[in-house]
Amino acid sequence: MCGIAGRILNAPGRVGQDLVELMEAQKHRGADSTGFAVYGVPRETGFVLRGMGFDKASMDADLENFAQVLRDHGSDLLAEPRIVTDSHRHYCFRMEISDPDDMTAWVADADDLSGRIEIQSCGRSLEIIKDVGGARAVADKHGVRDMIGTHGLGHARLATESSVLPNASHPFWARPFSDVAIVHNGQITDYFTWRDRLTRAGYRFLTENDSELIAVWVSDQMKAGLTIEQALKKSITSIDGVFTYMIARPEGIGFAKDRFAMKPLVVIDRNGELAAATEEQAVRRVYRDEGDVINFDGPAMYGIWGVGNRRVAA
Amino acid sequence: MSAVVIDVGDRPIREVHQDIMAACETGQPVRVVNALSRHNLGIGLPPGVDISFDGSVGYFCGGLNTGARIRIERNCGWALGEGMASGHIEVGGRAGMSCGAAMIGGTIHVKGDAGPRVGAAMKGGNIIVEGKIGYQSGFMAHSGKIIALGGAGDSCADALWQGEVWVAGDVDSVGVDVQLLEPTAEQVAEVDAILEPLGLVDSSRNWRRMISGQRLWYFESRDATAWLMI
Repeated sequence: MCGIAGRILNAPGRVGQDLVELMEAQKHRGADSTGFAVYGVPRETGFVLRGMGFDKASMDADLENFAQVLRDHGSDLLAEPRIVTDSHRHYCFRMEISDPDDMTAWVADADDLSGRIEIQSCGRSLEIIKDVGGARAVADKHGVRDMIGTHGLGHARLATESSVLPNASHPFWARPFSDVAIVHNGQITDYFTWRDRLTRAGYRFLTENDSELIAVWVSDQMKAGLTIEQALKKSITSIDGVFTYMIARPEGIGFAKDRFAMKPLVVIDRNGELAAATEEQAVRRVYRDEGDVINFDGPAMYGIWGVGNRRVAA
Repeated sequence: MSAVVIDVGDRPIREVHQDIMAACETGQPVRVVNALSRHNLGIGLPPGVDISFDGSVGYFCGGLNTGARIRIERNCGWALGEGMASGHIEVGGRAGMSCGAAMIGGTIHVKGDAGPRVGAAMKGGNIIVEGKIGYQSGFMAHSGKIIALGGAGDSCADALWQGEVWVAGDVDSVGVDVQLLEPTAEQVAEVDAILEPLGLVDSSRNWRRMISGQRLWYFESRDATAWLMI
């Protein structure tokens, strides 16, 4: 099934806590893995990286190789990486790095290490935390409740098209564009057609998850010069399948829905803040009292909610 | 008679359901509060029960109803009254997608709009929506009537079987193989008989009656030659 969520605050606050509530309420929609994309207070320079390595036994060597690739591109670690491990074989890390000379070139070389170590997000403000397990377990393991930010996304995964792997969880980063994250509910039925097409165009897919396609597809559209709004609208007729997905950037959150109206989205928009989710009971975790709920349940819909200066475009 | 009050809150739904069923056995009206849009409330209620839900409920409320009278103060989520056999469900606000899905009898009355695929695969009963019905409503409806007083969205009555979709107001578009017909006075009287107990009869309505334009084979027939004609 999968469940998705989005949250926008008026000012930096406990967005991590709210996202955990939104996803905990939707845990029945996907118990395989959970993920969060949190937009914290943006940095002026440097980036925050979130990633994972797939074998604790070679962690030191893999991290050193990764750091060397950074240095090869004019960047370096600004602090000691923070490592999160548990009984699983994989480990997760958080790094702060200085600006690479060329983001695209650095990401391409870093992705050569995928299979051993992989970037899950890179941003001035974006941090993607995702792992196998339910919302509570992932939140506890990675300290998501304590994360402060202006907005974010959440996802609960029921794996339907690919394996239950930590890196196949959502959100997906629209590499190499910093600070762009995607969560998706649904199935992309022309995934292989698009994957072949985009692979031939030089893009790399790091998983077998069809949802990753949306992130790559959006990257391709942005590279071609489309705005996010244009990409959202175009995706409805370009991508086949049943889907509702949300895409987040520092400026806000956008969404698009398929032509068959199969995957729901409900929103409570109040006093400049917003909670969005696949199910109404999830947004009611954030807004307990009865109020106006906006149902985006029609076909072929898209829109954008801005942070701060709020606007809705559809 | 005073009502038995059931508070949902954050309690496990299994526990809430057990409380609701126990309350139903008292013969008193039942009032459910703090539903918080949660799912699976009021499932499989027995005949003779009078139950109301304050606020909004989530998915599947009133599913498998066998004769209860259910009132929802505000909105409901997906699949209201799914598979219900009998009874009456009233929604004060809006209904989510697929309300009345696979129902085989009874009445659903939505005072607001309803989402996509109203009455999907229904096999009997009536669904009355005072507002607009959503995309692809009437999808694969085998029998029964869907009556929309506030118009219909795109692809209305797509893949309709032997059900009927009646719309007063604009129809954004019809689905594949839909016949749009001018109803007879007798047919309108039949619909008015459904609306009359709800106080919704209006002789000025300009009805659009939709039935399937396909050649249908209904499986009541035990005549083997009917199969050979396919």
